[in-house]
Amino acid sequence: MKYRIFREINAGAAIAARDVLILLKTPSYFIFSLIMPLIFMGILGGSLAQNMSAGLPYDYGQFLLVGMLVNMLLMGTTGGITSLVEDRTEDFTQELMVSPISRYTIIIGKIFGSSFSALLQLLGTLFTAFIMGIHYSPWQLMAVLAAAPLICLSAGALGMIIVAFIKDNRTAGMVQMLVVMPQMFLTGAFIPINNSRGFLLVLSRLMPMTYCLDLARAAFFAGTPGYAAIVLFNPAFNILIIVALTAVFLFIGTFFFVRSETNR
Amino acid sequence: MSVIEVESLAKRYKKARELAVDNISFTVEQGDFFAFLGPNGAGKTTTISILTTTLAKTAGRVRIAGYDLDRQTRQIREKVGIIFQKPSLDKTLSAEENIRFHACLYGMFAYRPFFRWMPTAYKERVFKLAEIVGIKDRLFQPVQKLSGGLQRRLEILRSLMHTPDILFLDEPTQGLDAVSRRALWNYINAVRREHGTTVFLTTHYIDEAEKTDKLCVINDGRLVFAGAPRQLKALLPQEPALKLYGPSLEDAYVWLLQKTDRTAE
Repeated sequence: MKYRIFREINAGAAIAARDVLILLKTPSYFIFSLIMPLIFMGILGGSLAQNMSAGLPYDYGQFLLVGMLVNMLLMGTTGGITSLVEDRTEDFTQELMVSPISRYTIIIGKIFGSSFSALLQLLGTLFTAFIMGIHYSPWQLMAVLAAAPLICLSAGALGMIIVAFIKDNRTAGMVQMLVVMPQMFLTGAFIPINNSRGFLLVLSRLMPMTYCLDLARAAFFAGTPGYAAIVLFNPAFNILIIVALTAVFLFIGTFFFVRSETNR
Repeated sequence: MSVIEVESLAKRYKKARELAVDNISFTVEQGDFFAFLGPNGAGKTTTISILTTTLAKTAGRVRIAGYDLDRQTRQIREKVGIIFQKPSLDKTLSAEENIRFHACLYGMFAYRPFFRWMPTAYKERVFKLAEIVGIKDRLFQPVQKLSGGLQRRLEILRSLMHTPDILFLDEPTQGLDAVSRRALWNYINAVRREHGTTVFLTTHYIDEAEKTDKLCVINDGRLVFAGAPRQLKALLPQEPALKLYGPSLEDAYVWLLQKTDRTAE
């Protein structure tokens, strides 16, 4: 049993390392990962900060920074996991599917590999924050980074839902944007959603990123005067919802992905 | 002892009206060199995909190395090696990185991010196999820079890394030149002698099937022959023109396909 667990971890590490290697060997993707936060946070966030942040009872720059960190983790990981569609079109999934390891190991290894590109985007985000003059303590950053593995896992599980049902690269890219973009605006990455109501409120509560963002902001703003105005839920509730949604998405995504591979 | 037991196997693809594999049964003995022959679209790749656990069957019973296909897929995957008809390499990685990835998936070695950090046993095995298949000087090149033939050799090397009990080869020599084909068969024969590996081959080259212990011919999804190559030749009606040299396996194979063609019924 111990040997089998080691084998699964070893195989998962190899799968994750493959994604890291591919990223390091593709300079354009590497550069894009660093530039992306400049566009989102520097241009879009910067404009919002200058024009709409007046009168808020907390530092909007910090609010935006945490939103962007979580957003980059989500975008980077779901983007990475949808590369499984490319693996499928290139017939590389055959090599994975015929190997004597758990299908969950394949998916979790892939999620960890995809998280690496997301972490690169974090570096770009922190650099942009530095340019924009957003201040934070090292402990605040550490608190957000501590939540990063859970956020990446939930984003990867969400990406698996896309991979399970989409067969070609182009559609996967479009669906990924359809999943990620509404979350960015509805869950409070850029704009506070304390006053959302009706249909938009229901949608925001259905999206995993709402809870990821709230958890990260709870960690970042813990002990600050703005905490009550920013954080929506108890962190324990956020963790519970994230774990539950991740487990459900991971199970459904892996089941249908494996089925689509073998039940042709 | 049979290492592959196939009983009433059938496969119908989604939205297809016809069966791709229609109720076939056969066995392969341990250590045998077995060939699965048939024209394009006959059901060879479908059958090999089912036997290697990458495709779900519609009906039938399959046992590989004593393990049941429905309940013991992990154990089956441990025992088999596969060279797919379509290349399944990661073209962004180097040849060695593809091999290392495979070795770690099969639990042979602990993963290390650099070749120089891998154990000596791994390095020696990679170099030995690379020498045999003739890609030793290309090991550290990206796969996308290798020719189709070299990529095929790399796939062969990769499939042999974990020394499988049963080696499935789905048209393995497609795209290889004569010298490479010969080198490959010399090595596969050496592996069979040394480890008693069972080889399950699908091929278009009839001369490769000539050397097998047993072959099955599949046509339109139905099994139309199972036996030794000489038994297939013996089926061919004797014609004066063939008496001088005797019928070739190709003569017998073509005659059998024409005789069993469904469209001629």
